[in-house]
Amino acid sequence: METTRKKFNWRRFAIASLVLYIVFLIGPVVGLDIPVVYAAIKANPLQLVQFLIIGISNGAIIAIIALGYTMVYGIIELINFAHGDVYMIGVFTSLTVLSLTGTLESKDPVKIVFGLILALIVSVVFCAVLNATIERLAYRRLRNAPRLAPLISAIGMSFIIENIGLMWAAQAWLVPSFGTTGGASQKVFPDMLGILFTSLGWDVNLLASSGIALRLTIKDVIVIVLAVALMTGLYLFVQRTRLGKAMRATAQNRDAAKMLGIDIDWVITATFLIGGGLAGAAGLMAGLYNNTAWWFMGFRAGLQSFTAAVLGGIGNITGGMLGGFLIGLLASFSDGYLNARWTNALVFATLVLILLFRPTGLLGEQTGQKA
Amino acid sequence: MKNIRSGITFGIIGGMLTFLFGGWSVAIIGSLMGVGLGMGISGKLERKEPLKIILAVLPTALVAAVILVLLSLYQNNFVQHAIGKRPAADKIVLYGNLIGFFGTILFTTLLAALHGLPEKQEQKWRMVLLTLLVIAFPFVDKLTALRWTAQIIFALIFVILGLGLNIVVGYAGLLDLGYAAFFAIGAYTTGILSSPQHGIFMNFWLVIWIAAAMAAIWGFMLGAPTLPLRGDYLAIVTLGFGEIVPVLFKNLIDVTIKEPFTCWILPGLLKLFGAQTTMACITLMEHEDLTAGEKGISPIGRPYLPFIGEFKSSDPIPWYFLIIAIIILSVFIIRRLRDSRLGRSWMAIREDELAAAQMGIDPVKTKLAAFAMGATFSGFAGAFYAAYIAGIFPSVFDFSASIIILCVVILGGIGNINGVIVGGLVIMTADRLFLPALKDFLASLLTHTVLPSISDPVVQLAVKDNANPILYRFLLFGLTLVIMMAVRPEGLIPNAQVRAELHPDETPAIEVETPTSKKAKKG
Repeated sequence: METTRKKFNWRRFAIASLVLYIVFLIGPVVGLDIPVVYAAIKANPLQLVQFLIIGISNGAIIAIIALGYTMVYGIIELINFAHGDVYMIGVFTSLTVLSLTGTLESKDPVKIVFGLILALIVSVVFCAVLNATIERLAYRRLRNAPRLAPLISAIGMSFIIENIGLMWAAQAWLVPSFGTTGGASQKVFPDMLGILFTSLGWDVNLLASSGIALRLTIKDVIVIVLAVALMTGLYLFVQRTRLGKAMRATAQNRDAAKMLGIDIDWVITATFLIGGGLAGAAGLMAGLYNNTAWWFMGFRAGLQSFTAAVLGGIGNITGGMLGGFLIGLLASFSDGYLNARWTNALVFATLVLILLFRPTGLLGEQTGQKA
Repeated sequence: MKNIRSGITFGIIGGMLTFLFGGWSVAIIGSLMGVGLGMGISGKLERKEPLKIILAVLPTALVAAVILVLLSLYQNNFVQHAIGKRPAADKIVLYGNLIGFFGTILFTTLLAALHGLPEKQEQKWRMVLLTLLVIAFPFVDKLTALRWTAQIIFALIFVILGLGLNIVVGYAGLLDLGYAAFFAIGAYTTGILSSPQHGIFMNFWLVIWIAAAMAAIWGFMLGAPTLPLRGDYLAIVTLGFGEIVPVLFKNLIDVTIKEPFTCWILPGLLKLFGAQTTMACITLMEHEDLTAGEKGISPIGRPYLPFIGEFKSSDPIPWYFLIIAIIILSVFIIRRLRDSRLGRSWMAIREDELAAAQMGIDPVKTKLAAFAMGATFSGFAGAFYAAYIAGIFPSVFDFSASIIILCVVILGGIGNINGVIVGGLVIMTADRLFLPALKDFLASLLTHTVLPSISDPVVQLAVKDNANPILYRFLLFGLTLVIMMAVRPEGLIPNAQVRAELHPDETPAIEVETPTSKKAKKG
């Protein structure tokens, strides 16, 4: 024991210093120019806090999506590639509901609130059912197949849903603001919360009167509060209820859980339902917060959330939340100080580094590392 | 009876295809259909004398040919009106249908009759026949003015890509979702080394090797840190690389590389201690545009051969034979690799990594070799692609390209060279020939027949906007993956071992072990 502790891992040290040198050498090419970043932070320290706020809000959304990945991975050890795209469908569902109920054109606060609540319900239910349907159609019969089979099926499902989103974004008769330019371009998700609070006569920026040059908007607060509420609810559900207990049992050992009379199929379906519902809620929140709807947005969100899930320790619900916030901060700082086009690359680099140096994530293992 | 049924299916599919292309297409479709039908049913027949086999399959061939010609004639006389085009000239109709009819019968019976020969001879003659067809195809295409060759070349590029990915996914069992990155590296190497934008003109015959080597080096470099990872983690990390590489190529437009020690680490430290620095900063590159971003690199040097001259984009035939030559070379190398010690260790790793490691195979080294070898072939494909298109753009190499290549491997049959070739041809002809033709067909059908009968302008617009099959490309690829995984995970032409692994209860294990049964299944 003692000898292993004393032995310095030269190989790891050499790799780490090599990686560090390469980061310094090639970093500026990808915007990671440390002197420049340092100068930017020194010039305007308050901006750092601003990016922190944006990062936490986006991180809350990422965390909610990450929960869907981590729960599914915890139970059936499958990366549900389609999950990010379910979230994208959530954005489009809520936008469509808002459009069909006439909320988008309305200035009446009561109507907007009811429209938003209806959009949340419809989006959650629709995404939950969609996610469970994906499981039923694409994964269930492959549960005992070699590992690659359900993974490939999941990629196929992700492609199918992306294509559905692409078609959806072209239907101007559903949402007139989509326009006639086809489905490929980014669409606007109207800033309903801004409209709501302006019509109530409130200032959207909570810090406007305090004189600090920062923007902490009501949107940030709502997103964070809603996200924390959802996460707490999920945590209590998994820890306290009978079904939550069954989920944990299934995650630990599927066969043993089956022997104890747990209906595995139902538990897995329930997991997918919950994950999809969370993705639907995240879809509405992201639409309201970032004000865009795009058929390809699920891909980026999916990658970031998966990285978040791995960072926190995949299969671990608390870890997923933590990872979500961390990745949100990373993405926000990268968008702000480096360059938005390199953010994905940076998130990926993070993913690779975690997987290489701490594959169990920050909060430890829930599922074993099997070959 | 079963054969007649497949004859009917082939005839209907072939006939429907003539709906889209019209004109001379019936001749080529008929002949190709005959080849497919002949190979398809000969596997189910008993080995008899060739003459008896011919008699046995003649009804099937006749049924297929009659259905094909009937549908083709229907197309010419009725469908052409519905899509607002004039029927083809009588001469084309007469000769096209005659060739289609007899082509179907001839090739079906011929390929089935070959089954009457002993196995070795059957394979030999089949290869001879297929070679003749491959050689004849571009010339026939030129004669009939169908212009399919240019698109078939794309299909063949994806065949090479599929063959390369097959090493990684099929032999070594590693799911690589970012394979298009290596394709991009091959293409950009070619672009940078043989484009006037950088003032470097290297001969294509040299560049193609450099591109392959470059792809292999990057395969090695990207594989080295990631390959210790487990299956699905590896998949997502490779997906990341596949995502980063096109972004990189898109944004390498203002590159400045300064050596960090001399430029700011040491000066900074010295400054901290109050010393003045007079050290020279080593600058490797300053504000250089490497890839021209979204505009892409264009033009790119073309290959040159004596007697043929420089390859031109107007004449696809030299390109066609060049890519066929690359495929033959690749298949030769991959076969040798597959049966080598390295290839067998790939398969051992795929079956059971732990057991293979116990037998003295180094898993990481073996996987790394698979990664680098797989990348090499996409380097070839990338170099050819860049020269053929004479321009490269970063959007070509995004995630969907990787998935299309994966589709090629999955559809054809994981781990089977013939399967991958068939898969590549099917997927890419569907993508490049069938979907655009279907789009044109539907568009003209709508404007001439369907839309005038719809009165509501909103519905009219909705129908018109959504009836574009090209918009459903991703849906089709996704469905291919999901359906193949659910119904036939081993692919159209399966590898015996993969099949046995996927259906443990059906195939007796002993059958897999014998080399003869493996050969027989490969056909």
